Amino acid sequence: MDEARTQRIALNRIKGKTLAWFSKPANVILLVFLLLLAALTLYPLLSLLTETVTVHAGREARAAKQAVGDLTFYHFQRLFATQENEYSLIQFYEPFRNTLLVSLSASMIAILFGGTVAFLVMRTNLKYVKFVSAVFTFPYIMPSWTLALFWENFFKNVNIGLKTSNGIMAAVFGVYMPEWFVYGGFPIALVLGLHYAPYAFILIGTMLRNMDASLEEAAMILRTRRLRIIRCITLPVVRPAIMSTFLLVFASSMSAYSVPVFLGSPVRFYMLSTKMKSLIDSYPGQAYIIASVMILLGIVILLLNQRVTSSRKHFTTVTGKSRQISRIDLGRANYPLAILLVIVLLLVAVTPLLTFAMESVIIKAGDYTPGNMTLDFWIGTNLTERLDQGDSTGILLNPKVWNALGYSLGLAALSAFVAGTCGILVGYGVAKRRGSRLANVVNALSFFPYLMPSLAFGAIYLAMSSRIPWLRGFLLLALVGSVKYMPFSSRSGLNAMLQLSGEIEEAAVITGVPWWKRMLRVVFPIQKSSFLSGYLMPMVSCMRELSLFVLLVPTSNTILTTMLMQYSEKGWAQFGNAINLLIIIVVLLVNFIVNKLTGASIDKGVGG
Amino acid sequence: MPEIFLKNVSKHFGRVVAVDRLDLQILSNAFVTLLGPSGCGKTTILRMIAGLETPTEGRITIGNKVVFDSDHGINLPPNKRDVGFLFQNYALWPHMTVYQNIAFGLENLKWSKNDIRSRIEELLAMLRIDQFENRYPSELSGGQQQRVAIARTLAPGPKVLFMDEPLSNLDAKLRMEMRAELKRLHRDTDSTIVYVTHDQQEAMTLSTMVCIIEKGQLQQYAPPLPMYNNPANLFVADFLGNPAMNFIDGHLTGDGVLSFAGLQARFSAFNAVTLGERDVTVGIRPEYVRIEKDGALEATVYSTLPSGMETTVKLEVNGVSLTSVVFGDVDFQVDRKVRFSFNKATVLFDRESGRTIARGALTLL
Repeated sequence: MDEARTQRIALNRIKGKTLAWFSKPANVILLVFLLLLAALTLYPLLSLLTETVTVHAGREARAAKQAVGDLTFYHFQRLFATQENEYSLIQFYEPFRNTLLVSLSASMIAILFGGTVAFLVMRTNLKYVKFVSAVFTFPYIMPSWTLALFWENFFKNVNIGLKTSNGIMAAVFGVYMPEWFVYGGFPIALVLGLHYAPYAFILIGTMLRNMDASLEEAAMILRTRRLRIIRCITLPVVRPAIMSTFLLVFASSMSAYSVPVFLGSPVRFYMLSTKMKSLIDSYPGQAYIIASVMILLGIVILLLNQRVTSSRKHFTTVTGKSRQISRIDLGRANYPLAILLVIVLLLVAVTPLLTFAMESVIIKAGDYTPGNMTLDFWIGTNLTERLDQGDSTGILLNPKVWNALGYSLGLAALSAFVAGTCGILVGYGVAKRRGSRLANVVNALSFFPYLMPSLAFGAIYLAMSSRIPWLRGFLLLALVGSVKYMPFSSRSGLNAMLQLSGEIEEAAVITGVPWWKRMLRVVFPIQKSSFLSGYLMPMVSCMRELSLFVLLVPTSNTILTTMLMQYSEKGWAQFGNAINLLIIIVVLLVNFIVNKLTGASIDKGVGG
Repeated sequence: MPEIFLKNVSKHFGRVVAVDRLDLQILSNAFVTLLGPSGCGKTTILRMIAGLETPTEGRITIGNKVVFDSDHGINLPPNKRDVGFLFQNYALWPHMTVYQNIAFGLENLKWSKNDIRSRIEELLAMLRIDQFENRYPSELSGGQQQRVAIARTLAPGPKVLFMDEPLSNLDAKLRMEMRAELKRLHRDTDSTIVYVTHDQQEAMTLSTMVCIIEKGQLQQYAPPLPMYNNPANLFVADFLGNPAMNFIDGHLTGDGVLSFAGLQARFSAFNAVTLGERDVTVGIRPEYVRIEKDGALEATVYSTLPSGMETTVKLEVNGVSLTSVVFGDVDFQVDRKVRFSFNKATVLFDRESGRTIARGALTLL
């Protein structure tokens, strides 16, 4: 009798606790996303790992001398320990070394350039600050190959690389740059560094802006010289921002594909990403091992980053009441410095567009005289009769281009909607249950896709889709896009939620407002611009994404970026450049319109 | 010989006037409090003296040194002014240990390693934080962080110390404790302290001189107790004292008869002043509203707030509410009648200008 009663009480308690747990929306959200993200990131990861020990059909099965589908360690043995013809060295160790060197240098360049400009903008009385901060994010909005293509267009010449034609530098100015300058590790690192410098600018700049000015004032009162203040106080305080920039730039550079294709392939300079692409058709097992190594590298950097930022030297940037930061007077160096910066930014952000426009109107490559120019590649008809290559109409009259543009926009919009909404929900759940194990796991899982190289991510989903018949075409692309870009949204969602005090929502809870109404009517409107930035980032990234989709598109005419790739491979440079310019203009336009209409911006999307 | 001297100092932020033509003289070894509501400009004044803010115009001297003079284009940076500054949020450097935080300023002065060590040990012992030498600020409690900040400020031995609401982030108990220590510190270090606060009790208990500021303008500059008893105007009278002074609208006739709260009384000023007929505000400190058995007047108890040491009683007399403080552990029944009388001084303010007319005694008619 008594025992039955205790049992009933115990049962009731468990029931009560469970009900209470599930009555909190944050718990339900976290649980749902735990399952969803595990399925969408851990499952692909596991299937990637199984692929590394599976024999695939074709050349691989013949080389391994095993049946298709068997368990094998041949791929590992072949990739890591084949002395013959220096196979391992060429296929793995050299690309690995190149990847490390390029990613490290790109991170350094991004941090030095972006960080310095952030310091100048936030902490000195530099002139033209508005222009500088507006144009600085340009390179990030543009596709990453933009600068690479520009670099090649500008510096290529008949003595180096594929030795096809002269770029502007050689043709117009007669300057023939050496090969190391135009192709290989140096330009790849530089281009990636410049492309990702906006990360540094935004992250470090935000930290500098929010930094408690009294930390510096305290040093000033204690008779510290300006340089010592910067070295001993300012830099250490912004170190977390420097570290997260490092993480982002390193992970992005490591998995960058298009830049090393443009600037590496002509001189057989391979990084892990390009090597993986070249191996994936013939030796998928080895390609998947390379993908795993890249993911592993990303995780190592992430762990390192976490160790550094969560040490005893707890960093907070509580804003004191001294908000007016004393700006350093640059004195006579001001104008020269400002003008130099404006010139560099124009070179990096504006001239690429001009060269694309230029390259898209010349008939014969390398000849930049007015007589050699035509608008045919944009609006011409019956081109096949007059030119021996390319489509018959200019890109603006080509229905294939318009279809691809529509498809790209639709894909970007859907991915952005899904990623952005999920990001807000994850941010909400994690913020509400901050510190709990469930929240930590979901938070880590939602960041995980960032560490997955796009190409590998695409490859895995390709493998997955072969087992799921309805996962095809647009749906597949949208799913991949949503998962891959959710890290941006969940980060900005989490930041926005952390800024919002819990009482604001609790005030609505007390009066009995249902959860969905609280989200739509209270939480969302207050942090509107931050949340919308969580939609903008995936949208912009998706519009200009190539490597993620390149393996998954039904035909290469499906989306604009793969179309561009196809034209470049065929050597239809004018069409390629025209489409490139079209993509950039569309992306800039989308960014501009969204920014003007809603106040959302890339800065906030990165976590500023 | 005045230690710090401000002459005609103004500060404008765009069109907003934060500080308006301020003259202030701070004597050597004084403990001066800049007191006022938030946004009144007191922090700006402190930051201007320290050199963290540049005045729009005026002249500031510290000791014999002109540190700012708008007419002569003189503006010494803060590191040349030989002052110490204690920040509201302590501004401890998060990436340095307690020892490194304190040593930083001494290293700038090129002290030898041994001198730095012995100076820090002395300070840590004095502030009773010796066991935290190797901790980082995030590993300390608010009170401990505060002590580290004080040690860092005191380390180079500045003769002038500026403190910007240094106790406002501490809990009530710790704040009381630190108050006593700051007062002791002032004595032990022989320094001049300029202290910003919005807490009138802090200003009353700590300072040798209080400077009350409102809307960027100096309201009164006097030692705390005289200021409490002889406020220059209604604002000062209202700002000092807790619970606040009772203010009752009244009318004064030419022959010194005061009518307020349905009462008639003769006002006899302590000093010879011409009163003149006018509308006035009668100011009576709560401790001068005495609840006593044989009091001349009757009131209804509206509410009581007993704290053990004293009880604050809200009374109602002819529709006017009065606050009274009764010392000791007494309590009263709400809505009961009690008898009371006005004891000691009353202050009359001009209703229109708020300026003090006179201090005097009331005799009921």
